[in-house]
Amino acid sequence: MSNASGSSTPHNAGNNAAGANVAGPDVAGMAVALTGITKRFGAFIANDGIDLAVRRGEIHAIIGENGAGKTTLMNILFGLLQPDEGSIRLNDEETVVADPAVAIKAGLGMVHQHFKLVPSLSVADNVFLGMEIRRHGLIDHAAQIARTRELSERFGLRVDPTERVGLLSVGIEQRIEILKVLVRGARTIILDEPTAVLTPQESRELFQTLRSFVADGMTVIFISHHLEEVMEVSDTVTVLRNGRRVATRPTVELSKDELVRMMVGREVSFDRRPREPQHGDVILEVEQLWARDDRRLPALRDVNFTIRSGEVVGIAGVAGNGQTELAEVLSGLRPASHGVARLKGRNLATFSPAEIREAGLAHVPGDRMVRGVDRNASIAANMLMGRQHRAPWSRGGVLNWNAIGQNASKLIKDFDIRAQGSGDAVKRLSGGNIQKVVLAREFTNGADFLLIDQPTRGVDIGAQEAIHDEIMRQRAAGRAILLISVQLDELAALADRILVMFNGRIMGEVAGDDADEDRIGMMMAGVAVPEFAAEPA
Amino acid sequence: MEILDKLVNVALIAATLRTTAPILLVALGGSFTTKAGIFNIGLEGQMLAGAFFAVLGSIWTGSALLGVACGVAAALAFALVFAVLVVSFRANEVVVGLALNILAGGMTISLMKAIFGTRGSIVGQGIVGLPKVQLPGARDLLGSWASLISGFTPMVYVAFIAVPLLVLFYNRTRLGLYIRVVGEKPEAAEALGISITRVRYTASLLCGLLAGLAGAHLSLGYITMFTENMSSGRGFMAVAILIFSNGDPLKVLAGCLLFGFADAFSLRLQTFGYPSYLVLTVPYVVALTALFALSYRARPRIIMETLASMQKLLSVDKNPGPDGKHPS
Repeated sequence: MSNASGSSTPHNAGNNAAGANVAGPDVAGMAVALTGITKRFGAFIANDGIDLAVRRGEIHAIIGENGAGKTTLMNILFGLLQPDEGSIRLNDEETVVADPAVAIKAGLGMVHQHFKLVPSLSVADNVFLGMEIRRHGLIDHAAQIARTRELSERFGLRVDPTERVGLLSVGIEQRIEILKVLVRGARTIILDEPTAVLTPQESRELFQTLRSFVADGMTVIFISHHLEEVMEVSDTVTVLRNGRRVATRPTVELSKDELVRMMVGREVSFDRRPREPQHGDVILEVEQLWARDDRRLPALRDVNFTIRSGEVVGIAGVAGNGQTELAEVLSGLRPASHGVARLKGRNLATFSPAEIREAGLAHVPGDRMVRGVDRNASIAANMLMGRQHRAPWSRGGVLNWNAIGQNASKLIKDFDIRAQGSGDAVKRLSGGNIQKVVLAREFTNGADFLLIDQPTRGVDIGAQEAIHDEIMRQRAAGRAILLISVQLDELAALADRILVMFNGRIMGEVAGDDADEDRIGMMMAGVAVPEFAAEPA
Repeated sequence: MEILDKLVNVALIAATLRTTAPILLVALGGSFTTKAGIFNIGLEGQMLAGAFFAVLGSIWTGSALLGVACGVAAALAFALVFAVLVVSFRANEVVVGLALNILAGGMTISLMKAIFGTRGSIVGQGIVGLPKVQLPGARDLLGSWASLISGFTPMVYVAFIAVPLLVLFYNRTRLGLYIRVVGEKPEAAEALGISITRVRYTASLLCGLLAGLAGAHLSLGYITMFTENMSSGRGFMAVAILIFSNGDPLKVLAGCLLFGFADAFSLRLQTFGYPSYLVLTVPYVVALTALFALSYRARPRIIMETLASMQKLLSVDKNPGPDGKHPS
């Protein structure tokens, strides 16, 4: 940390003490230098004393799992959030980035994950929206089109400036967002997970554009959780985990599995839960399952596994390698393009999500606020969802709120949910307690197969322990459990077997009590480990 | 054939332009709010207030132009109240619009009673109407066709000239562009630092301006009198036209011409002795038919989607369990 002494800020104490990490030769000469950035949301620390120095003219990748603090950090840099501690230097000048206007003036530009374009306007109109070129008080469309064309040709952002945005694909929309940033004079461009919405071809074109920016003397900050593209395009990588900076290293010095290990890490370590061996009947069979993602690209490629009653099967993998799609196919939210999934011998493909639940699925979704709960409804109503048509909750189409309320109060007690009462709106609860509401509902509907996706994401340690206890109780009760998690230690604590997914395939299988971090890490990075390849069950 | 000749002639076209003008003006006003993303059902009330206060102003000042100014001011006041409630306080647009319509109806009646001591209508009393504009040279140039461009009251010209001006406004001016952006993608406007509140207020007031002119035209131009509820649904008809035109000035013009023609045509029929109740329904029947015809285009997609989802349901119903039999 030889560079830290050059900084005049009072937050050096917050610097990462790991001496191996070199942020750069000096804070001077940096396009962007963040020092000791800390940001708290209530008790949750999103950024914890992060230092980041980005050299002028480099592509600097920031990599980390969902919730590692990447987007928060970039929002602070761009003035969308204010840090609780720390300082920001832009082009060697101490700057208080009070709002995005300050950042834009200093030559920063940000391409967000969600595009904000107006469909009925032309590409050029969108690019120049808010800073129109005018002549005699009227908008000069010809000049705007010419300037857009010039920029798009210079940086290989292929787009027809006269076309209406509503007719264009997401990939082209992204180019328009980049053009917007360029037109506003940005010299340092921040891209938040730009490839998440792109096809591989479009991603390659984007990378070429990024290189042409750097060739032009600009700086690129690139947020991602995809290893390959980070290895392919970046000059320097900064790894974030749980709100802290793990390392900043030149990309050439790194290998993929090193990167995975730094991303996934071993921060909180759970002890492996004791267990009785169980050899129940096969509950879930998945055979040669293929599925496409929202971009129509293959997201699951020939996935095979079975789960028996009383067994916890874990799915490990860096986010975005098909886990979401697997959960969606099994819960009936996404059609399989090939292959079958059978629940107790019945092919799921022919059932609606409601029928699959009737047939014996309980689903704890990965994004609880979207698919897990109605945040405005009460706890009691949330616990009722999905069984409202059954006795004793309703009779002849009329709800029995007495029974519903009593049941909710009992579940609140059983699952130790911290709430005023069953009439509380779910949105008043903390993340951990909301997750317990979902678990309470799903674990008590008598299903034989539990599909559990990221059960402890954004949940405090105490609640994590309680949730793990509950999952083990369900195992002991003879349920078949599929546990999808990006946290290796969670899988190591709970799973009987761990399947590692990469790029839509199961790369291999590891026994839960033999969960070797290095081997799993290699498989997560896409390296086949022959002696651990999946054996027929 | 003779009857048809008598029905359809230059006079009918001129009458169409006359009947189109008030609804065109109010619909163009509504185009601002529609484009800005506000569903403004209060056009009727703004127009009615404009009509009443235009008459009042014209009587008090003895000037038709000052009368128009009074009418516009009243409509602007209504538009401002609408904007304060809907934009600043985020009240429901339909509720506020309807309330203001009812207020305008009741207020004009009670003021009429209080000031003139009458109910029903104000005729004479010193109302100064707008003069007809005779374009010099029109008769020499066009002969009997001159009545198509000459001899209308000023607001008729204002209404039709406003159409190309609005096209230019939406395509070439910054405010016009921002109104569209705010209506279509408020997030985008916000991200670029465009004040949604300011743009929506501006759009509401521009709407009030044109609705006031439309009202003044009704009571000082179209005829020179005020009667209870004299806007007689034109504001609502404008709302209907706005819904299917999405506020585009040219489509608004087309819709208004259709309605204006039906109106003029029904007036024509009346002089031929057809029962007036039946004849008076003509404009509304035409408007309904047009609306239905236009929305029919969107229909196949809805039908297809419904069929697809029903098919899915049916196939699930038919689906047998693992040991079931397929119905043949």
